[in-house]
Amino acid sequence: MAWLALALTALVALAGCAERPDQAGPATLVFKHAKIFGPTDPIPGLLREFERAHPGVTVRSEPLTWTSDEQHQFYVINLEGASPTFDVLMLDVIWVPEFAQAGWLLDLSRWVSRAELTPHFPAAAAAASWRGRVWGLPWNMNVGVLYYRADLLAKYRLAPPRTWEELVEQVARIRTGERDPRLDGVLWQGKQYEGLVVNTLEHLWASGTGLLDDRDRVLPEPRRAAAALAFMRRMIDAGVSPPWVTAGDEELTRRPFGDGHAIFLRSWPYAMDLFEAEGSPVRGRVGIAPLPGHRDGGAGVGATGGFHLAVNRRTRHAEAAVALIRFLASEHGQRALTAAGVALYPTRVALYRDPVAVRAHPFMPRFHELALGGRPRPVTPYYLMLSTAVQPEFSAALVGVKTPEQALADAKRRLEYMLKGLR
Amino acid sequence: MTARQRADRRAGIAFVAPAVLTLAALAVYPGLWVLWLSLQQRIPIFRIARFVGVDHYVFLASDPRFWNAVRVTTVFSAVSVTLELALGLLVALALQRQRAGRRLALSLLLLAWALPSVVTAKLFEWLYHPSAGLVTLLFGARNWLGDPALALPGLIMADVWRTMPFVALLCYARLLTIPPEVYEAARVDGAGRLATLTSITLPLLRSILLVALLFRTLDALRAFDLMFVLTGGGPAGTTETLTVYAYRSLFQTLQLGFGSAIGVVIFALVMLVAGGYLRALRREGLAA
Repeated sequence: MAWLALALTALVALAGCAERPDQAGPATLVFKHAKIFGPTDPIPGLLREFERAHPGVTVRSEPLTWTSDEQHQFYVINLEGASPTFDVLMLDVIWVPEFAQAGWLLDLSRWVSRAELTPHFPAAAAAASWRGRVWGLPWNMNVGVLYYRADLLAKYRLAPPRTWEELVEQVARIRTGERDPRLDGVLWQGKQYEGLVVNTLEHLWASGTGLLDDRDRVLPEPRRAAAALAFMRRMIDAGVSPPWVTAGDEELTRRPFGDGHAIFLRSWPYAMDLFEAEGSPVRGRVGIAPLPGHRDGGAGVGATGGFHLAVNRRTRHAEAAVALIRFLASEHGQRALTAAGVALYPTRVALYRDPVAVRAHPFMPRFHELALGGRPRPVTPYYLMLSTAVQPEFSAALVGVKTPEQALADAKRRLEYMLKGLR
Repeated sequence: MTARQRADRRAGIAFVAPAVLTLAALAVYPGLWVLWLSLQQRIPIFRIARFVGVDHYVFLASDPRFWNAVRVTTVFSAVSVTLELALGLLVALALQRQRAGRRLALSLLLLAWALPSVVTAKLFEWLYHPSAGLVTLLFGARNWLGDPALALPGLIMADVWRTMPFVALLCYARLLTIPPEVYEAARVDGAGRLATLTSITLPLLRSILLVALLFRTLDALRAFDLMFVLTGGGPAGTTETLTVYAYRSLFQTLQLGFGSAIGVVIFALVMLVAGGYLRALRREGLAA
């Protein structure tokens, strides 16, 4: 028994050591972030530069796994456990209000005025503040766009479609002319995951409705929403989209388009760098357009996403941590994202006209227009609850297990039960 | 009780104490805590922590998503475990007969078993790829992971591929311990191949098959990684098992109370099944 007690004491002592603050002496900041994709990682260079400008401060960067779910889980466990093991974090825009509401993020309003957010895209700035306070600094930007095969559209003298109905007609015309059974119409993300919610939201917006209205009412216009879902389902039934889009995520849909087997693709800006890479079968043959609208709805809007930078409320080095995120989110810091080989797009509008950046990514001015018109997903602390509750219902409507009306009614009932528990 | 017996008893308690204490600290205490959590509405983000009694269980009783998850879990476990046992047994018998290349066959079997399941899932993601996948090429273009009728069978195939070797290796190891004299005696008595199989080999394998069944069923009831990686529970929730539902509630949406209630149901289900098996094993004289 004695050894057990001894071991336990040792464990407790060890845990105590790990928790003890390192207040005296130089500060070490720990920066947690998602693994950066692409051949070039801009983070180490930026951190060394920050350290040179701030003597006495060292920054350790600790990459997390690449899946968004696992990053979220890591943050939740560590922030709820109140462990101050990291100071600065990179987080998905949809988590900002959630983490802020939970009291896990440092309120940045003391340091960052709302005016400081104006050089960023409006959608990114909107996602950084919640309840009138600033909780994060926008760092990189994502927006849903429509890729099209410019060569095919030109061959049939077509302009990029302005409505989904027009897109369906163009697909029929091009496929009749091409007589290629392997050529698919339009690819998008219909797997039961966050991507499906994004794609459906874009159809809801294009139909003039949404998932949450200004007064936090769930699915305020069920009839319009059902029509949007029914349209998505019809694209699969009519063969405009292949049946497997119901299992498609970003990469699964990006590849066939990149191999030249689809006319249209709904995806994010990162895909362009891959289509334009050396050896790509579609190099120089891809165009980008705003997402189409719906004939009886409104104009198309791309959903925005990306990552923000925030500070753990329990940090022991608030000043240094805020300095670090301001440095990373500054124009200078974000310029590093535009270097060749980095597949991240900055949130600062000015960089999209920067000659050096545009030389590395010739499509930046085009993405600029599209990101300006982008719209964030509902900015609410219960976004994830909302999203995971509607995912199986949207999926059921797409694969035809439920009618859109039934699926939406079920989603609404479930959400209302969950939200009831919160109010 | 004599002094000697008392001393023995004390020593016995001292010897089992570390195991009992460890179990208590690592299993019983968290288990009770989850049970306690399941009786609360607890959502840390909104600083909600209140006692709600059995409310979550009442909601679950009428929650179609929960009953769907129960059905998916049951179908997945029953079908995949049956196939794994049948195929594993066949493979073990084949291995026993095999003369050349047995080592290679064993290594290949071990490979499938040793792969981390997320790697297996990624592997099958490519096999089921709608345009380039091997399964698609062999069986024609089917929408394996996006069709509500095919997604669960697709996952079961992946699970059988991954865990059939476990059953095969267990059975094979047992077959090695059957003394050749038994078979010789059977031959002398004029037993044919079929008679040898049904009245010697299978009865001798019975107990190990029960052990394999126990392990595999308990694993299958908690299946998570394959569906999490391959389908995310979709399409239309047709591959959402209880553990995936619990994960979504607990870790994605932080409804600690509600998620714990699902966890308690999974625990009860697993205990029920394990209890049944243990009773069967006890009859076989295998478990104390």
